[in-house]
Amino acid sequence: MSSNNPLSDAVEGVTKGLLEWSKENVSAFIQKLKNKKLAFIEESKTIEIVREQYNSGERKFYKEYIENKQFLFLIELGLTLKKLESEKQKERLQNLREKILKKYGINGLHISEFVQNGILNRYIGILIDELSYAENPITQLKKDIEDTLQNIEKHIIFVQAYMKVSDIIKKSSIIVASNSPRIFIVSGVRPNAKLIQDSIEPLKNLLKEYSLERFSNGEKEILFFKRKLT
Amino acid sequence: MELISLKRVSLNSKILLLKELGYTSDGDFVLDLKGEKVIDKYADIPIRVNNMVIFPGSTIILDNNEFSIASYLEEFGDVFK
Repeated sequence: MSSNNPLSDAVEGVTKGLLEWSKENVSAFIQKLKNKKLAFIEESKTIEIVREQYNSGERKFYKEYIENKQFLFLIELGLTLKKLESEKQKERLQNLREKILKKYGINGLHISEFVQNGILNRYIGILIDELSYAENPITQLKKDIEDTLQNIEKHIIFVQAYMKVSDIIKKSSIIVASNSPRIFIVSGVRPNAKLIQDSIEPLKNLLKEYSLERFSNGEKEILFFKRKLT
Repeated sequence: MELISLKRVSLNSKILLLKELGYTSDGDFVLDLKGEKVIDKYADIPIRVNNMVIFPGSTIILDNNEFSIASYLEEFGDVFK
């Protein structure tokens, strides 16, 4: 039985099988669409996940300290990657990674992964620890964050499955010798986490001017090497 | 803003909706009236009828994926409050 409301009939009227809309239903929908009161989506979960990151406290925090809109967007996508990872939505995770790579290249993807792997928030924590030495701490913090994101390859190695311990040591040696970063990071997720664990001692020997702060949760292994203050 | 899921809507109904909005379909992709595939402006991919999003105002049709929807929010803000 139909009511006098074509919209409710169209949305709720059929409980089994596929909904069939009449021209009357569609006209009513389009009127609401034009009045910006309605949107259509195949899977509403997609919008829910994206909105959750867009309105998250973590994104709002970064927005206070990062003015570059592209960086902020890549950070938001990194938060979305983290959410998809936590929900074990591997296909959607890979799909989003590919789209970031296609649009923003490997540096863009690395910025998003910097957030996905929980590195950026810890990195900022380390920067804050050192702010007491800065004349203008807020300006310095903003500059440090943007410089790092701008030159992310000079600050971090994302360990890949094809690498060996010797590759990690060699690459670390080159990056540190060329750029002398204040904070140097080696990051990997399982199964590459084991490679990082095996690299810790050789890296400590190599980076004697740095102190190590290690973050490990079984799935991820992140080494923060902080240059010692002299 | 109300969100209507297209998941349980028949293909014929989706095509009827597209036609009322000035588009059409070959049963697989969203097409413009010249028969060309409509491209998601953010992800730069053709949009399938069974995976589309239609946003209001000056109607925007996108592929239903996190990248495109996040890009839309960046451009227009959170209009779904």
